[in-house]
This record gives sequence, structure tokens and C-alpha cells, in this order.
Amino acid sequence: MSRSNGSGAPLVLAVPSKGRLQDNAAAFFARAGLDVVRGRGVRDYRGTLKGLHNVEIAFLSAAEITTQLAAGSIHMGITGEDLVRETIADADERVELLAPLGFGNANVVVAVPRAWIDVRNMADLEDVASAFRVKRGQRMRVATKYVNLTRRFFAANDISDYRIVESLGATEGAPAAGQAELIVDITTTGATLEANALKVLDDGVILRSEANLVASLSAEWSQTARESARLILSRIAAEEEARTTREVRTRLEADEQAIGEEATRLFDARLRGRGRAGLIVLTCAKERVPHLADWLIDRGAENITVGQLDYVFSAKNGLYDKLARRLA
Amino acid sequence: MMPLDHPEARTAAASALANTLLAHFAAAGYPRCEPPILQPASVFLDLSGEDIRHRLFLASDASGAEHCLRPEFTIPISRVYLASAGAGRPAGYSYCGPIFRYRPNASGEFVQAGVESFGRKDRAAADAEVLTLTLEAAAAAGHDALMVRIGDAGLFAALLEGLDLPPVWSRRIAREHAKGLPLDAILASPTNGSTNDHSGVLAALAGTDKRGARALVEDVLSIAGISSVGGRTAAEIAERFLEQATASSSGGVPGEARALLERYLRIAGNPDETSAELRTLAKDAQINCTQTLDEFDARLGFIAARGIDLLALTFSAEFARNLDYYTGFVFEARHQGRSGDHPVIGGGRYDRLLRLLGAREDIPAVGASIWLDRLSGPESGVLQ
Repeated sequence: MSRSNGSGAPLVLAVPSKGRLQDNAAAFFARAGLDVVRGRGVRDYRGTLKGLHNVEIAFLSAAEITTQLAAGSIHMGITGEDLVRETIADADERVELLAPLGFGNANVVVAVPRAWIDVRNMADLEDVASAFRVKRGQRMRVATKYVNLTRRFFAANDISDYRIVESLGATEGAPAAGQAELIVDITTTGATLEANALKVLDDGVILRSEANLVASLSAEWSQTARESARLILSRIAAEEEARTTREVRTRLEADEQAIGEEATRLFDARLRGRGRAGLIVLTCAKERVPHLADWLIDRGAENITVGQLDYVFSAKNGLYDKLARRLA
Repeated sequence: MMPLDHPEARTAAASALANTLLAHFAAAGYPRCEPPILQPASVFLDLSGEDIRHRLFLASDASGAEHCLRPEFTIPISRVYLASAGAGRPAGYSYCGPIFRYRPNASGEFVQAGVESFGRKDRAAADAEVLTLTLEAAAAAGHDALMVRIGDAGLFAALLEGLDLPPVWSRRIAREHAKGLPLDAILASPTNGSTNDHSGVLAALAGTDKRGARALVEDVLSIAGISSVGGRTAAEIAERFLEQATASSSGGVPGEARALLERYLRIAGNPDETSAELRTLAKDAQINCTQTLDEFDARLGFIAARGIDLLALTFSAEFARNLDYYTGFVFEARHQGRSGDHPVIGGGRYDRLLRLLGAREDIPAVGASIWLDRLSGPESGVLQ
């Protein structure tokens, strides 16, 4: 979608158009207070973010999002790291993985028939592949849709005696069907592999993938697009900060400043405010709250209340800073 | 992908150069062959391995079949020869035209000229002819001061076979040497599977024969309730266990074998002297490769007979061209004083390739290519 440059071109944010990934992405934005509004019906491939002008939502397949990020025809999108690493040759040059999103988790793995009881790791596979070629005059076949990930991973493990058989569906069935000797595929629980009498090699995990918020470095970043990105990322960061931290309130007869500094040192907590009669307000990572509370009681606190926050906005926006640095 | 800037469409100089080379080859009995630019991709991937995939310009047709722009001439011309009525009989071809190999941020199109000779049983003479023909062609085009390095993949294979190493090591050394890896690096990598604890299985196999080993593997599989073996037979799995049992009991590459390999790989210098050194080494190691050594000497004789000063050639035992289909004589030529550059001419013998391409038996074959851009350009440097 080539559009005129200038400072006014809006931000194009792509979200997956199908399935679990779509639901999870919508939930992710909703948590950050960003409601994705789809125009007119499920068949419309354009949308908006409620309350944020200058943002255009594109509904695309995860594969399409990845190629368009690489091409620079969209600014940001949600897609799997597996697709980013597979589809984009020099991924780190062309896109920035801003944040892992905690859903769409899956591993890209090397799996061989369970009957290969002599093969446990990639070194075994190298040996077997070279013997296979010497004895049969043919290369061992690897069924996969991850051609590039496979090639890089095999090269890193000194395996050269193999052939890739491209497989665009039901890859796990290829060995049983006689189309390949082994596979490289994505798996979440391993159940499908098991059902097909395959096993993952001990060091055969090529990539631990999950959905990521990804920014294109080659897109035309107008001032408007940057500003929209800053707003979106600031809400996402605020929600994440709120979700992972808790607010801790108590009263202490002590030097608040010193308490704050020591709490920072011991628990990575932050002093957020001071009130009358020794009231102090701290925030702290969720899992460290009990330790912080114990410590405060030791210092003379009578009561401690812990609350959950909706958002924690900060002047410093780590997510946007990451993007701005790459765009500079 | 745009077609294609033919040499004819390039500068007059390039076109004149192409004509000079082709005329020289044709006069020597190598008529021009023009194989299709569009080739089935699988042939190159099967023969050169997946490493070449990212260098290929790939395209698929409406039926989903994968094609590529030819990345070289040897395989396309071999296929033309095999499809011809004269397949199996002696025949020579020459070529000149574009080949396509991807490289980042630069043109992926190169021009190559060269010859391929098929079916000649007088291998040493054919080797010498292909070497001298390409050197003469380059000289006819005004480049007569090339330095030539020769090697012999057959000698290394004969030595490796004679050393009787564990198969794991034999295969690995052959493969990694062809890639140009130094011996130290090859031997430094861990023995395959040595980190695995198969000691139970290996102990059970100690002293068994192949049939016993196979029965054991079948038992293990049936106890585990695994029926489909998938790609490899129980016998193959058993055989690998047996290989490992011997490899682990003998502890990798013995020091004596390693010393011989190192001594061999150090041999380098003028061809006649190195020939004598090679014979001494074969004798000391009690390895019978007389036939390969006789052919080595005969080849040198033919090269000298064609008017090349043998002192202008350097033999190097560690020299391997980065393609494992070479089976014998290999050579490369570079501009004087530019030993770090990519070669201007490269070639060698590939006696097994035609069978891999579908011939019923091995057909002797030898060929060489001239990189035209490297020939005329000063340092065309990053070309490859």
C-alpha cells in the first residue's frame, strides 16, 4: 500500500486475520485499552483503533504480515518469530522485534523416527546423513516448510548431506508416507510428533518461537506514524508494567527516602509517592511483593495494603525508545 | 527475473573475447553447446547439496515444479550429452554464456566459457588436454601469465581408503577435506555419538556379527513397541551400532594414520619432485596406489608434451575444489601475484557425476571453466 509520504501518512498496524492468533492479538490490544474495530463485518480487511486517529489496522495472515514488514509496506504487525526468521533473510537488519507477547508459543524442531534408537542428537544425525549418502547414493530427505531455518541450522551443525523436501501441510506424516526420512516442523506440545512415531533430537530445537510485536525498519515512518506508534507502545508498556507489578502502601516512622532507596536495592521496588503521617507508596514486581511486605513489617510497618493497577504510564517509554533508536 | 543480458549484447570487447575462446575450443574439436538457461532445480540441489539453495535463482511453474537459472555449465552440458545419441562414447563440448548465482548487493550474473570432455578412457591425456586447452584459450585472449595449481582428489581418496580408518572418520575426513577444511579442524571435532550413552547396546553387541546385531535392534524396537522404522532399516541401525562399537574401542583416528595424513597434506611444490615424494609416502604407508600414481606421472607427461613448462605448475596435496563430485585431477589458475583472488580458471575430473545423473555406468569426464569477468577485469575480486 504505497501512500504519499509527507508527515501525514498514518500508521499501518497489521494484526492476524484468523484463528487463535487473531483472538489473542485482539485480547492483547484490549488489555492495553486499545480496541480493534473491524469495519462493517468479519470480511472487511481494514479497521481502526478506537480512540486513536491516524492508525489504520490491516487484517492479514501472519505470513503476509511478515513479508509486508520486510517490504516496508506496513509499519508494525503481530506475527510469529518463526516466520520472521524463516521469511526474512537478514531479519535483524530489516525489522525490530519490539516485544514477545506471551502467546502463540511453539518450537521449531528437528524430529526423526523414534525407531532410530541410535540417533539422539545433531552429531548423530550428521553421521547418519553422511553414511546414508555414501551407502545409498542419495541424500537424506528433510520435509519442512522452514527451508531457510533448516538450512542455517544444519549448516551450523556441519550437516551437508541432506535434501529439503518442501512440505506445506501435514509435514509430520512425511516420514511414514516415505516422502522424507526426517522433518523440521513447528510443535507446541509434541503430541502430533508422538502420534506419528517421531522424536525431537536432544539439541534439535532450532527456535523457541512466540508471537511478537514487530516493527518494520524500512517502512516510511512519517511524523504522524511515529507519534501513533509512541502512543500505542506507551499504552502497551503501561499495561505490561501494571500487569507485572503491584502497588504497596504502608505507614512508617522512618526516613522515606532511605526506605525507598533500600527497597530499590533489595527488591527492585520503586518509591512512587509519600503522604502525610508517614504514608509511602511503592511499586514492586508481583512475585517479590511478599518479601517486600515482610521486610516492611520488620521495619515497623503495622499494615500493608497491596493493590493491582490498571496502567502505569511513565515518561520513559522503553518500547518506543527501542524503536526510535533503530529508526534514527 | 529478467532475461537476460547475453554476452552478444554486452560490449564489443566482451563479445570478441567470447568469440576468440569459442573459436579456439571449436578448432580443438569441442563444438559449442548451448544448454537451456532454465534448468530443473532438483538436479543441482541433489548433486551440490542444500548449501547451494540460497545461491540459486529459483522459480516454480504452474504445476509447482521447481526450476532455476543455471548456476554453472557442467551439469547442464552433462545432461545434454546423456540425452544425445552418442552418450557413453567420447564427445567434447564447449560453451560460453551467462550463469546465475545470487550474491547480496551485487549482480548475480556471470559469464563463463569452458569445455567438457566425456567418455575418454585415456584419462591422463584428456586431463592434460582440458588443462592446456583452457590455458591456451586464455593466452589467445591475451592472458598468458597465469599461475596454475594442481591437485588430485583420487590420491587423497586412495590414501584414505588404504588407512582403513573407522568408517565414521573416513566419511567425515573425505567430506570435510573436499570442503577445504584443514585436517586439524576435522579431527578436532568430537566423535559422533561419543557423548551418547549407548554403552548398554554397544556392550551387548561386542563380538556379535551383523546378523546378531540386527536381531538385537529388532528386539529392542519390538519391546519398545515401535514398528515403523522410517527411512532406515533395522539392519542399517544395527550396522551403525557396530561401527560405533569398533570406533569407540579403537578410539578414533590412530596417531600413525594421522601422521601419514599430515605428511601427505604437507606435500607441495613442483610436480616432478612431489611425484617422487608421493611414491615414498605410499611405500612407507604400505598403501597400494600405484595405478593412481602412474596416472599422475602420465598426466604430467602429456601436459609437458603439449608445451607447458611443468615448473610453472604447483602441485598441492591439500588443494581440493569445493565440490565433492571431483574424483581425480583438479586445477585452478590465477593471475600472477594474486593468490588471494578467486580463480580465473577452474576444473577437474568428475567420473561419478554422469552415473548420478542417470547413466547406467560411470562415464569418465573432465572439464574446466574460465570466468570471463575475472579474466579481463583487474581484480574482479568479490566475484564468486
